[in-house]
Amino acid sequence: MATLTVSTRVGLVAPWVEWEKRCTDGRRLLEAGTYALTEGAIAAGCRVFAGYPITPATDIAEYMSKRLPQVGGYYVQSEDELAGMHACAGASLGGLKAMTATSGPGYTLMHDAYGWSITNEIPMVVVDAMRVGPISGITGAPGQGEFYIARYASHGGNFETIVLSPSSVQEAFWLTIDAFNLAERFRTPVTILTDQVISDMWEDLFIPADYDALDFVIPRKHNLMMPFYPVGSADLDVPPNLIGRGTGVCVSAYTHTEEGYDIEDMAAQWAQTYRLINKIRHHTDQLARYETLGLEDAEVVAVAYGANARTVKTGVLEARRRGVKAGFVRPITLWPFLDELYERDCRYVVCELNYDGQLVREVMRAAPDKKKVHFMGKSAELHTVAEVAAGLEGVARSNRVPELPYIWTEVR
Amino acid sequence: MNKLAAKYLRPSQIPTKACHGCGLGMIENWLLQAIDELGFKQENVIFGTGIGCVGRQTFATWGGDNFGATHGRALAVATGLKLAQPDKKYLIVVGDGDAASIGTSHLIHAARRNLGVTVICEDNMGYESTGGQFSPTTPANYVTNSSPYGMAEPGFDPCDVVKAAGATFVAETTATQWHQTVKIVKKALQNDGFSFVHVRFPCNENFGAYALGTRDTLKNLEWIYEHTQGRKPDGSETDFTWETGIKHDVSNSRPEFSKIMRDMNARVQADMAAKAAAAAGDDKTRDDGHGTH
Amino acid sequence: MATATGTRTEILISGFGGQGVVRMGQILGLCAINQGHRVTMLKSHGTETRGGYVRAQLVISPEYVDSPVVEHADVFVAFSQPAYKKFYDLCDGTVMYDPELFENVVDDAPERHLAVPATKLSKEKFSNQLFANRIMLGALTRVASLDYEAMRKAMLEVIPRFHEQNLAALDFGYRLS
Repeated sequence: MATLTVSTRVGLVAPWVEWEKRCTDGRRLLEAGTYALTEGAIAAGCRVFAGYPITPATDIAEYMSKRLPQVGGYYVQSEDELAGMHACAGASLGGLKAMTATSGPGYTLMHDAYGWSITNEIPMVVVDAMRVGPISGITGAPGQGEFYIARYASHGGNFETIVLSPSSVQEAFWLTIDAFNLAERFRTPVTILTDQVISDMWEDLFIPADYDALDFVIPRKHNLMMPFYPVGSADLDVPPNLIGRGTGVCVSAYTHTEEGYDIEDMAAQWAQTYRLINKIRHHTDQLARYETLGLEDAEVVAVAYGANARTVKTGVLEARRRGVKAGFVRPITLWPFLDELYERDCRYVVCELNYDGQLVREVMRAAPDKKKVHFMGKSAELHTVAEVAAGLEGVARSNRVPELPYIWTEVR
Repeated sequence: MNKLAAKYLRPSQIPTKACHGCGLGMIENWLLQAIDELGFKQENVIFGTGIGCVGRQTFATWGGDNFGATHGRALAVATGLKLAQPDKKYLIVVGDGDAASIGTSHLIHAARRNLGVTVICEDNMGYESTGGQFSPTTPANYVTNSSPYGMAEPGFDPCDVVKAAGATFVAETTATQWHQTVKIVKKALQNDGFSFVHVRFPCNENFGAYALGTRDTLKNLEWIYEHTQGRKPDGSETDFTWETGIKHDVSNSRPEFSKIMRDMNARVQADMAAKAAAAAGDDKTRDDGHGTH
Repeated sequence: MATATGTRTEILISGFGGQGVVRMGQILGLCAINQGHRVTMLKSHGTETRGGYVRAQLVISPEYVDSPVVEHADVFVAFSQPAYKKFYDLCDGTVMYDPELFENVVDDAPERHLAVPATKLSKEKFSNQLFANRIMLGALTRVASLDYEAMRKAMLEVIPRFHEQNLAALDFGYRLS
C-alpha cells in the first residue's frame, strides 16, 4: 500500500516522532479527529468504550460502536457520563483497556469516577472534546475551559494528573496510543484534552496497516499479589490490579492500606498521597511532550495548545516575516505542567480559547517575570493568524497586545 | 467467628465496624449460607458495594475480590467488570441510598440490560451513617432527623421499579425471615441475569431511636416483623404492611447483558469473515472497517 | 498545484445544508491526499448550520498545514447569497458561483467572478438538479488546476451510488470554458 514519509517537524518532542519513522506500511485517509481518536484507541488495545453521546465527541461513540465488536470489544452506551467512566473503571479492573469520551457538560459529571480511578490506580483514557461554555454554551464552537478542571479532576486534593492535548488529526491518533501507554505505566486515568476543532476537523491521516505489529503499544499486565497498592512508593510500571482472579484485591473510595483496606489514619493518608503524587512527579522526564520553534533568539514567545496552536504557529511565522523575533511553545503535555518550557527570560503571549485566562496563569507562575506574560483570550473561534501576528508585533514593539475585537487581554 | 464466617470472610476485617445490634452482620451471614449451600467457590464470587452503612460495614469483609464503589455507582462499575469477567458471580450488596436514591438510574439500567448480578438492597429505611435522615424507602409519616414533622415525601418500592425496568428476579424479605431470605438469595444467585432482593433490616441507633423511639434490637425487629404480618401483638392492624416473598421470577428467560454483547460480537465477526472470504473470491470488497464516510 | 503562496492552497466552499458542501470538500481533500498532499478541512456545524450556511475550509499543501483556517481563499465556491456575502472578504482569488442560486455579486472585481450555471446544466442534461454539485466540482477541478483523473477516482471513492451520472457531470463541468 501507500508508503508515507512523514517530515518530522523541528522541535517536536514526543514518542510518536520515532513511531512515525518506524511505521511506513499503512493507508492515508481524509478523516476526522474523532476517527483518529477512536482508531488510536483500538490500535492501543482499547476493548471497552462506555460513554454518553455529546457534541462534539459523539462520533467517537459511533465509531466505537462499529469498531469494538469487530475486534472483540464492547461498546456500552451508558445512562450518563458518570456511569460511563465508572463502567470503564470496572472494565479496566476486569483486565480490559477502556476509554470514555465526552465534552464539558459530561466531563464535569465524571469527577467522582476520576477520584475513584485515580485513588485505586485504574488505567484508562478519558477524552474531553472541549467546547465553549459555561454549560452547554455554543455546542459547535471550540473552547479551552477545562485546563484546570482536567488537572483537578476530582475533589479532595492529594493527587497528580496526566493530561495531553493533540493539535492535529494525525497527532490525535498517536497521542491516543501514547495516552493508553502512560495510563498503563502510571496506573492512572490519562485525560486527552482536545477541542471541537480537532475532533471535528478532517485531515490527512496515516493509519498503520497492522495494529498487532505496533511493538510500542504497552500491553495490559496484571498484578496478582500484594502489595496491591504500593503506598509510600513512587515506582513506575507497577502492573494494574485485577478483579476476578481471586487475589483478594480490595478497591474502594476510602484512603487505603496496601491491601486496599479502608483506614482512617494520618500515616496511611500520607503514604497513599506520596504514591499518587510522586509516581507522577518523580517521573516527569517520562511525560514531556511539546513543540517549540524559534526559542533560540525569541524576544516574544507565543504559547498555545490544541487547535489554536496551529493558527498561532502560523502567526508566529508571519510575525517573523515581519521582522519580529517571535518564538512558539506548544505544550502537548498540559499536566504535569512543563515549567521548563518557560525558562527563557523574554515576553510571552499566551493564546487560549477562554476569556478567564487559565493556561496564562501557569505560564505567569513558571516564567522568570510574570509581568512579561501577556494574554490573548478568545472564545468560540480560533485566533486568526492576523490577530496573533498583530499581538506579537504589538508586544515586541510596545510591550502590549493591541486592542483587537473579541480578544481579551486582562488577567486578574 | 462462626463456621461460615471463618470459611468465607476475612478474619482481619470482622467483626464489622457496624453499630451494636445492627442487622448487617446477620444478613451477611445469611448470604454466606446461600453461597455455601450453592457450593460457589470464593474466587468465583465478586463482592461489590457502595457507600453508607452497608458500604462501609461490608466492604472488604468478603474473603475474595471486593470493590466498594463511589456512592450509588456499584452497578455502573459492575457493568464494565461483567464484560471483562463474564463468568464470575456478582453479589452487589448496597443500601437504600445506593439503590433507591443516588444510584437509581444505574439500578434501572442494569435491570433493563439484564446485567448478570445479584443486588441485595439492605434497607435500613433511611440514611443512618450520616445520622438518620429519610430516604425514598422511609415509611410515610415517620420521624427522622430530616423529617422532624414526619416523612412527608411519597416513597417508592424499589421492587416495583426494577420489575418495571426488566429485572428477571425480584424478591422482598426482611431481617426477621432467615430461612426465606436464604432460599430467596439462592434463587437470585441462580438467575443468569439481573436479580434484586430487597431486605429491610433494623437500625437501632437512628431509625429505631428517632422513628420508633427505641434502641432495643428486639423491639426494632419486632416492629419489622409486625409490618410483614400486618398485625400488632394485640391483633390490631399496622399502619401499613410489607408484602414479602418472591415478587417476580422469570429467571433465565432472557439473555444476560454480557452474553448479548458476546453474541453480537460473534455475529459481527462471522459477517466480517464471510465478507473477507467473498472478497478473496472476487477481490473487490473494500470494506475492512476503516471505510470512508 | 497552482497556489497563491506557492505552497499553500486555500479553498472555501459554502452554501446551505444539503447542497453537498462538505461532500465536495471531502472529494477534493481525498483527491489531494491521494496525490501525496497534506490536507485540512474545517467544516462548520451546529449553530452555523442552523444559522443558514454550511462551510468547508480546505487547506492543501505539500507540507504539513499549520493553520487550517482559510483567511485568504484562492478559490471560493459560493452556493448561496448569504454564504457569498458572509465570506466574500475572505477570498483573494476566484469566486465560483451558480447564477441560478444567486446573481447579486459585487461588481468591483468581475475578473475574479466565475459564473458556473451548474443547476441549469444539471436540469438540462440529467432532468434534475441533483448533479449540479458535481458539475461545479468539475469546473473547480479546472479552475484550481487539479488533476482530473485523480478527481474522478476520489469522487468514486467517496460517492457510493450513481457513478455513471456523477462521472458524466464531473466531465461536463470540467469541459466548461
